[in-house]
Amino acid sequence: MVEIARNVDPDYRARFEAVPTADPRMETLRQLLVGREISELSRVTELLDEPAQLATAVGGVLPSAAAQAPHAQLGEALAPAVERAVQRSIQKSPRTLTDILYPVFLPAIRKSIGEKIDQTFQSLNETLRHIFTWHGLKWRVEAWRTGASFSEVVLKHSLVYRVEHVFLINRNSGLLIAHVTADNATSEDPQLISSMLSAIQDFVKDSFNEKEQSGLDTIRFGELRLWSEVGPLATLVAVIRGNPPEELHEIFRDVLLRIHDESSEVLEQFDGDTSQLFGIEARLQTCVELKQEDTNQGFPWLVLALVLLLLVPVGAWFFFSWQSGQRWQTYVSRLEAQPGIIVAEQKIRGGQFYVAGLRDPLAVDPQALLSGTEVDPARVHAQWQSYESLEPQFVLKRLTASLAPPDTVRLSVVKDRIVAEGEATDTWIEKARAAARQLSAGGPVFDVSGVRDVSPEARAAERWQAYVSRLETQPGIIVAEQKIRDGQFYVAGLRDPLAADPQSLLSGTEVDPARVHAQWQSYQSLEPRFVLKRLAASLAPPDTVRLSVVDDRIVAEGEATDTWIDNARAAARQLSAGGPVFDVSGVRDVSPEAREAERWQAYVSRLGRQPGIVVAEQRIRDGQFYIAGLRDPLGVDPQSLLLGTRLDPARVHAQWQFYQSLEPEFVLKRLTASLAPPDTVRLTIVKDRIVAEGEATATWINRARAAAQQLAADGVAMDVSQLQELNLAELNQLKAAIQGTDIFFYSGKALPGPEQTPVLDRLAEQLKEFAQGARKSGVTARFMLTGHSDATGRETANVSISAARAEAVRALLNKRGVAPELLLVRGAGTFEPVVPENSRTGSSTNRRVSVTVNLE
Amino acid sequence: MLQKKICMLGGFSVGKTSLVRRFVQSIFSETYLTTVGVKIDKKSVVLPDKTVDLILWDLAGEDDIGSFRVSYVRGATGLVLVVDGTRAATLAAALTLRERVEAEFGAMPFVLLFNKSDLVDKWVIPDSEIDDLRQRGWQVYLTSALTGEHVDDAFLQLATMVTK
Ligand SMILES: Nc1nc2c(ncn2[C@@H]2O[C@H](COP(=O)(O)OP(=O)(O)OP(=O)(O)O)[C@@H](O)[C@H]2O)c(=O)[nH]1
Ligand SMILES: [Mg+2]
Repeated sequence: MVEIARNVDPDYRARFEAVPTADPRMETLRQLLVGREISELSRVTELLDEPAQLATAVGGVLPSAAAQAPHAQLGEALAPAVERAVQRSIQKSPRTLTDILYPVFLPAIRKSIGEKIDQTFQSLNETLRHIFTWHGLKWRVEAWRTGASFSEVVLKHSLVYRVEHVFLINRNSGLLIAHVTADNATSEDPQLISSMLSAIQDFVKDSFNEKEQSGLDTIRFGELRLWSEVGPLATLVAVIRGNPPEELHEIFRDVLLRIHDESSEVLEQFDGDTSQLFGIEARLQTCVELKQEDTNQGFPWLVLALVLLLLVPVGAWFFFSWQSGQRWQTYVSRLEAQPGIIVAEQKIRGGQFYVAGLRDPLAVDPQALLSGTEVDPARVHAQWQSYESLEPQFVLKRLTASLAPPDTVRLSVVKDRIVAEGEATDTWIEKARAAARQLSAGGPVFDVSGVRDVSPEARAAERWQAYVSRLETQPGIIVAEQKIRDGQFYVAGLRDPLAADPQSLLSGTEVDPARVHAQWQSYQSLEPRFVLKRLAASLAPPDTVRLSVVDDRIVAEGEATDTWIDNARAAARQLSAGGPVFDVSGVRDVSPEAREAERWQAYVSRLGRQPGIVVAEQRIRDGQFYIAGLRDPLGVDPQSLLLGTRLDPARVHAQWQFYQSLEPEFVLKRLTASLAPPDTVRLTIVKDRIVAEGEATATWINRARAAAQQLAADGVAMDVSQLQELNLAELNQLKAAIQGTDIFFYSGKALPGPEQTPVLDRLAEQLKEFAQGARKSGVTARFMLTGHSDATGRETANVSISAARAEAVRALLNKRGVAPELLLVRGAGTFEPVVPENSRTGSSTNRRVSVTVNLE
Repeated sequence: MLQKKICMLGGFSVGKTSLVRRFVQSIFSETYLTTVGVKIDKKSVVLPDKTVDLILWDLAGEDDIGSFRVSYVRGATGLVLVVDGTRAATLAAALTLRERVEAEFGAMPFVLLFNKSDLVDKWVIPDSEIDDLRQRGWQVYLTSALTGEHVDDAFLQLATMVTK
């Protein structure tokens, strides 16, 4: 027992060491009595002394001991130790714990990263692999420090990319200005790549109608990405392997900007000579040094598995309380941000949340804010004291409730002051001022000065003033006096009878007419427009005279009889001295007869100038007009020329004899009608001679010659010497050549084989030549392309392949410049074989497209 | 490094692509693959006083001037106008293309190539016409992408012109 005690308690052992054990008999006796126990004890002591052995021994029974212990007690006993252990573990190596929590965090983190991942090309596995490494923890700290989400930080660090090449390309020519490569990156000829990139840019721009400055900024080929930044003079293109982060765009843009800054002159004058460019490569070099290497760290699976077994429950508790704490904190900070709520105190205890503070009854309900925060409302204990917040928006609400401002007043918060604007009656304004004075010292200022006093009387007076000033601006009205007394309005003054009626001006002013008392003295206004009105009334000018005011003068213009002009002159003299001048000098003296004679003469001389009309005689008698002469039926109708002359047609008596005018233009018209020249012939008049030019058939030319002879007899010259006979023979030959051409196909093919290319080339040239020739002779040529097939296979398939062949030939001819509207297509299937199918060359000869020429 | 952008212009199937291949790779092929959009090649040319890299933009031939993508020519310093000596119409096409380009970007050095000179019996361009064009001071060459005749001369001449 002593030995056991010794071993258990070192102090005890020390005390016993001092006791002498000299007596040998005692030793013998001890051996006899408890020898077996001693040896057993020393074995146990040895076991206890040797930590390694002890550990093995305890380890053997520990699991079953733990299993048999009452759960509650064991938990109680272990909890402090485990908590301490966790604490220690975090202090010593946070990574271990992170590793442990892996499966617990996994679902939550996976969700948050999942959202980000959509925005990037990084793979999920890549990301997760990095979370539970030492970096993972560093990144969490970084996320906490920068306020970015953890997944964002993870992505930022785990993007693995390398900038392999950077090209600087002249925007104008696509020529390479500079190029740098990362170590051991390879590529084709950079000059070629540079030009091709700019060609692609051009192509995209053209094809999709892109705007000038923008362009193709990302191209992807598998692992490689091409990012381009377009500057005014040069484009920077980076070739990146892997997944670059978005910020890289910024870096490139910055480099491009610097290059433009430093070398703008050289860039502007760049003509393909790169020997002048210093410093640009060094700038680009900074871009290719950009990369993010993949640090391929192993994952501590073994440690993880071991510790996991022990600490899963702790981890779970740790995580959930951390998570709900987090949610609570968001809720509290949301509360704190609310106006009218002051959080005085808040804490979490035993999984319950406590909050206390002040709250304005007008502020939002804190309970309502809970929804959406995922904080369990049952665990929230809140205590709110009501108070009246002095924040302007609350004061505003309270003021609105107590003052009940009319619709014409608007209350608003402007820079912490409450401002009332608009119109109100004086009683309301008084109330508002009282409220403003009552507002407690610390509260916001309530500014009522912006409200206009609009009591009904004031309003009526305002309207009256508006009416009076409107009267004052009226020409012909002079307001001498006006006043308001006992709700009645008085106005007195002078008024020209021709001026606007003051009574009618009242309508729409909302001034009560019954309360208006006006006294107007008549006077004659000397303002030109009134004088004009009076003159117009007294002189009654005819329709042909126009009176107007020009620079304060009254001007009469037009034609009038001499009597009227005399009247007007008298009036002008009578006009009182201070009045405007009346100028009658612009009125011509025209008696009706003289006027009509003048018009008639104008008409007759106009007729005389008409080709195809010969006036023989004309006169005026007793107000009637007479005219006689010759007219060509192809010339204008004299009757129609009367229109607009103001002559009375009923008083015009005309006698016209028809004749054929020999003036060239009439002859030309007659010839065109009788000879019907083809489109290829042009008839023109050259120095009184009629000239026929162009190409026509021999028959037509003969008819034209006969006509020319006849005309010569009448003294009209017609030149037919420039007519040429159409060369139809040539066209016919061409037609035979075209119709003799066949395009052949291989079995089952809708496109002709390459050996048909020269045939197609020749055919296209012939078709174009023929179409042009035909057009010259005034006809349109159309070409029917008929597709044929051999007899193998089903007839429906044959018909469709024959049509497809005809279509293909049409497209190929079109590509060679034959206008598509001239080409007609049809598929004949097997119905029009050129040779019998069973002959030796049968099927291969029948697989063809033939051409026929139609003239329209 | 001195580089110049050169554009190959001309009608459809006149041999632009074939000329570039002959000049750059010294090969010729009978098979005709029409160019879609643009094809870019490079060749360094050694002149007496310098070396210039010609960046050759081989554009799709268009007989129809309307569909010609003139924007590809932006920044070019020289043109190779190609005519098919067996098709008279391609001369007009080449000249129209040049006018279109000059209207857009101003005058620039060019050489005029009458290609397929090996097809003697199909040749349709009269010598007088070629003389006329030379009279205007133009650099005119009768080339064959098939035999390689005058191809290098023409490109070398243009290289000299654009580096002056
Ligand atoms: N005999 C001969 N054939 C040529 C010559 N040059 C080109 N060809 C042929 O003409 C055809 C058209 O040549 P391409 O070089 O593709 O013509 P392109 O001008 O590029 O044509 P697009 O790109 O469609 O505008 C091909 O079949 C070439 O083999 C030449 O010098 N002689
Ligand atoms: Mg081509």
